[in-house]
Amino acid sequence: MKTPRISPETLRVLESFLRHPTDWHYGYELSRETKLKSGTLYPILMRLEKYKLLEARWVATQEGVPPRHTYRLTPNGYELARTQMEEARPRAMVRQPAFCSG
Amino acid sequence: MMVETHLRHVATMLLESAIRIAPPDTREWGQAMRGELSYVEGHWAALMWAFGGASVMAKHALISILIPSRRGGISPGDELFAKHVSLGKAALVAAVVCIVAALVFFGAPPFRQAFRVAMQPWTFMFQMASRNFQPGFDALAKRAEEQHDPEGLAFCAVRLERPGESARLAEEAVHLDPNLIWVYAVVGMRHLELPQTGQWMARLEQWDPRNSLFHLIEAESIERSHLRHGVWTPPTRDQEQAWLTAMAAAFDSPRFDDYLDRVAELTRKVVPRYGFYDPYEVQSREQLDLPVDTLESSVRFAKSLLRSGEDLEAKGDHKSARGKYWRVARFGQIVDSQGRTGFEHLIGTSLQALAYRQLEASSEKEGKQSEAALFAYLAAKFDPFTGEHPGFPGESAFGLETARRNAAVVQISGLMILVFSGLLVIAAAILIAGGSARRRARPAAQRARPVATMVLLSSGAGLLFSSVTLYLTYRPYWYIFQSAIQNGGRSQARDLFFFLNDTKIPPGVSPRVDLLLHSLLYSGSPSFLFYVWAGVTLLGVIGLVIILLRHFRGRPSAGGLQNHPRVP
Repeated sequence: MKTPRISPETLRVLESFLRHPTDWHYGYELSRETKLKSGTLYPILMRLEKYKLLEARWVATQEGVPPRHTYRLTPNGYELARTQMEEARPRAMVRQPAFCSG
Repeated sequence: MMVETHLRHVATMLLESAIRIAPPDTREWGQAMRGELSYVEGHWAALMWAFGGASVMAKHALISILIPSRRGGISPGDELFAKHVSLGKAALVAAVVCIVAALVFFGAPPFRQAFRVAMQPWTFMFQMASRNFQPGFDALAKRAEEQHDPEGLAFCAVRLERPGESARLAEEAVHLDPNLIWVYAVVGMRHLELPQTGQWMARLEQWDPRNSLFHLIEAESIERSHLRHGVWTPPTRDQEQAWLTAMAAAFDSPRFDDYLDRVAELTRKVVPRYGFYDPYEVQSREQLDLPVDTLESSVRFAKSLLRSGEDLEAKGDHKSARGKYWRVARFGQIVDSQGRTGFEHLIGTSLQALAYRQLEASSEKEGKQSEAALFAYLAAKFDPFTGEHPGFPGESAFGLETARRNAAVVQISGLMILVFSGLLVIAAAILIAGGSARRRARPAAQRARPVATMVLLSSGAGLLFSSVTLYLTYRPYWYIFQSAIQNGGRSQARDLFFFLNDTKIPPGVSPRVDLLLHSLLYSGSPSFLFYVWAGVTLLGVIGLVIILLRHFRGRPSAGGLQNHPRVP
């Protein structure tokens, strides 16, 4: 199977999910953990959900407040996230950013 | 507190509006972001959250418009996790559409002419450096000479600013076609210092004996001979007498023809023949330049006639005095009714007003009150500033302010086209370099791709917008110019004249500063203005390069995982 190209932001999201792989996560909570803005986070969540790597559901909260969308990794998503994190770790240790001194 | 509440309200409205424009399959995600908005801590943070969410919705809306096949959502492929893929491709498509649409404008002749007009201040600087202000005429005259085309030669002769070359072409044109002898009059009016003037005028007087123009040119030529190398020498008695004789002959002639109709006719024939659609050369120099100097002397002669009439009146010779006043009035009437330029009408009406005022005073002295009232009415009617016949006929429909504003819009649009074209080339080069670097895994070039894509899109849109603005602003002037070429139409000729005059001044430079620069250019370094603008442009380019370098150096590496050492 071809391994898809992963952006650093997506890796951050997967890393956040892997901390509590079985829990449901809110978007705002993920945004705070990953330090990603909504404009970056949600396209990633949309793609993960589109390819069945993430499952989403609506949760009703208090009356008068809109329901919340929550997310959790699917088994496929969990496997892919683990593989990607394992691959990314040694690469992150050797790569140096361009134009950086030292 | 109120402001903060409003901020959250604005954030909610923004996100809800964005959800409405989003494609149906992504609206659920918009609702998801809207649901989280209530839990975002801080009102400003909520607003930023809403901005981010709205941008996601707007992006999907844009993609669904530009690439309808993507309406179903994100297509599968290797780029599954890439952040910028969809927007990047959509942006590229949009940029290409904008660039192609902008290039289509170059196919339209009005746009090409508009672009040349917009470039005039910068072209003028290069002409200034080379000291050749009419480079187009050199090539045109050469072609006309090769083809032995008398009309082409005459067209160049009446417009060239170099006296010697103008005279040579005029003589060649008349040699090929003797019917073009009137060209001597036009060239003589423009270059009074030519040694051939006397000989030409003698021939013209035989050809068109009733026209006062040749006598006026002859008189002005005598007047000019007093000024040698910038030093005025008093005229000799013979010269003074020759000047008076020439002027008297002009005032006694029954016709005034400056041959501008023949010049316009020549223009209509020659411009399409050679495709010489240069509005500056063809139109703007035709209206005001020609008989200014020639007619100014006539005012001096008219005033001397009026003074001699007053002397005769003082001596009691009212009849002879009136004869002199009527002579001035008649000449003014001829120039006013048969002249074609604004300046000719101004001189004609001014002379009539002066003469009628004298006649009014003379009638009052003789106790003829009803006659005096008639002359007072005529003097007021022909007053060039307050009368019914203003000196410059009302051919300007747009006005000076509109011409100035349109000139600025045209110049800035042209400049923006150049700037956006430059940015497009840079962005395209970065994208091409990034594409090849992708295979060699060069992260710096890859990181530049999103920025380059955005620059490409914004520059493409800017190029299109500038092109549309340039086209729409110039289009009315194109029609005025075409009307003048095809039908000899003079309506709104002054609008074109004002507009073209204003486009010669670089944008942001007031006419007064322009005069200062001109004086510096002519008296000091010939390339002063060129160096100023070249310096400004160079500083801008250096600034842009520094900004880009800082951007790419300062941006975190794609290997941003260094910031996340806790990966399990």
